[in-house]
Amino acid sequence: MTAILEARRVAKRFGGVVAVRGVDLTVRQGELLGLFGPNGAGKTTMFNLIAGAFLPDAGQVLLHGRDITREPAWRRARLGIARSFQIVRPFRALTVLENLLAAIPAHGGANDAASALALLRRVGLEARARDAAGDLTLGMLKRLEVARALAVGPRLLLLDEPLAGLAGQEAADLLRTVQALKRRMAIVMVEHNVRLALPVCDRAVVMDAGAVLAEGTPEQIRRDPAVIRAYLGSEAA
Amino acid sequence: MSEATIERAPPRPHLRSDTLGLVIATIALAALGIALPALGASGYIRTLVYYSAFYLALGQAWNIMSGLTGYLSFAHGALSGIGAYGVVIAMNADWPMGASLAVAGGAAVLASLVIGATSLRLRGAAFTFATLFFQELMLLAVRKLPFAGGPGGLVLEQILPEWIAYVGMILLAGVATIGFALIRRSRLGIRVLAIKGDEDAAASIGIAATRLKLILFCVSALLAGLAGAVHALFTASLYPDVAFSVDLSLIALAVPLIGGVATASGPALGALLYVGLREALQLIAPSAHLTILGLLLLVVVLYMRDGIGPTLARLIRRSR
Repeated sequence: MTAILEARRVAKRFGGVVAVRGVDLTVRQGELLGLFGPNGAGKTTMFNLIAGAFLPDAGQVLLHGRDITREPAWRRARLGIARSFQIVRPFRALTVLENLLAAIPAHGGANDAASALALLRRVGLEARARDAAGDLTLGMLKRLEVARALAVGPRLLLLDEPLAGLAGQEAADLLRTVQALKRRMAIVMVEHNVRLALPVCDRAVVMDAGAVLAEGTPEQIRRDPAVIRAYLGSEAA
Repeated sequence: MSEATIERAPPRPHLRSDTLGLVIATIALAALGIALPALGASGYIRTLVYYSAFYLALGQAWNIMSGLTGYLSFAHGALSGIGAYGVVIAMNADWPMGASLAVAGGAAVLASLVIGATSLRLRGAAFTFATLFFQELMLLAVRKLPFAGGPGGLVLEQILPEWIAYVGMILLAGVATIGFALIRRSRLGIRVLAIKGDEDAAASIGIAATRLKLILFCVSALLAGLAGAVHALFTASLYPDVAFSVDLSLIALAVPLIGGVATASGPALGALLYVGLREALQLIAPSAHLTILGLLLLVVVLYMRDGIGPTLARLIRRSR
């Protein structure tokens, strides 16, 4: 499969703390890549380095072979990298529909609204289109955030702990939505809930102390002794 | 998403009924204001209407930048002063009035580019401090500039009929109000409110925050500059301490904050309240109006964070 995104020997340091140490990462077209690891492993920093929220101290980030290492977040979004946030960050003063209209590249009034409504329908929020985003429940906000990221028209979707705070059925619904999306784009999902998230991934990368500890299919990750010992424990064994 | 789902979605009206209502109401009120002299309104009433329009234009200019983006400006008094000096200097050099007004607006826009390009990349209080610094710097500079008349100021050498500034200011206030409503309703307005809500989240969906803030600041400065220019035609004389007074910046800020920040009608309510309050206080405490304005602003900020207009609208909705 073609590589959509390549990170080459990417490094990031915050003061005296090395958060990411020369990590290589490839994301391929149409795959759902899980990025796992305990707190402090560097996965969120890596995620932010891809999204453009941070710029790396060393290394390169390539999107379809184009060097985007120094591009700001807003330009990366326009190039096709969209993201969600660990703690939902809707535009609370805007309506649900306006949250999406803010993200959709402008083509023309009625068509953009129609596209936004179609996206809301896909995540089950069409009935709340005219409500203030601040009035939604957490589960709805998570779905709104996915819809908002999709409104950008991404080629690469980055999901930062999409299951955090969701109850069983809500989490399962969201994962189903995510799985359905990968036909059209590549997805990188950072997730703490390994038990729920690992089975739906095509490939997984496990990080530890700013470096890649293991990489492979979910089955390979489950069987990797270092991963089992250090991160997954009996839960995945 | 499938084409079928897009086709089923209802089309979105280009101009929502509330915006259309506001546009019609603004045009009707502006027409009434312009017709007042013909209807026999006294000079006193005309002056009150004029100052309400001046503060509305200035407040709406502030609202377009600071109301929508959340970046507080203390420079709108100075931007208005630049417009005032621009038009008087140009007209005294025998430029036609239209070209002089263009110079006034252009000079204010140029100033906004200088302030914005240096401070709008930064977040937090950087912009606010830059505007405050600019406000004071302009006052000190204009006092020293010989072509601006130094501390003695300038006098407009042409004698213009009073109606020009009167009608001009009402039209400007109307254009600023309708302009705000259309911007708020547009994709630009939605994106700017997204920046106000969460700049990182806005960047994550491709919004170029610095560029949009700068565009809005230029539009805002153009309106403030034109308001100052038209006001200079009204007063016909300029003194640096008055034209660049920080009081004007405070009024520009207070009018939308009191009436209803980031709304199109809020500054109109704020301007009427301010002018009414100032006139009422003329009788009992002539120099206390800014103090009272400050207290009113404090009460509004503490207890009605969106301003009086939206708070009243919410109370009325609840009581139904």
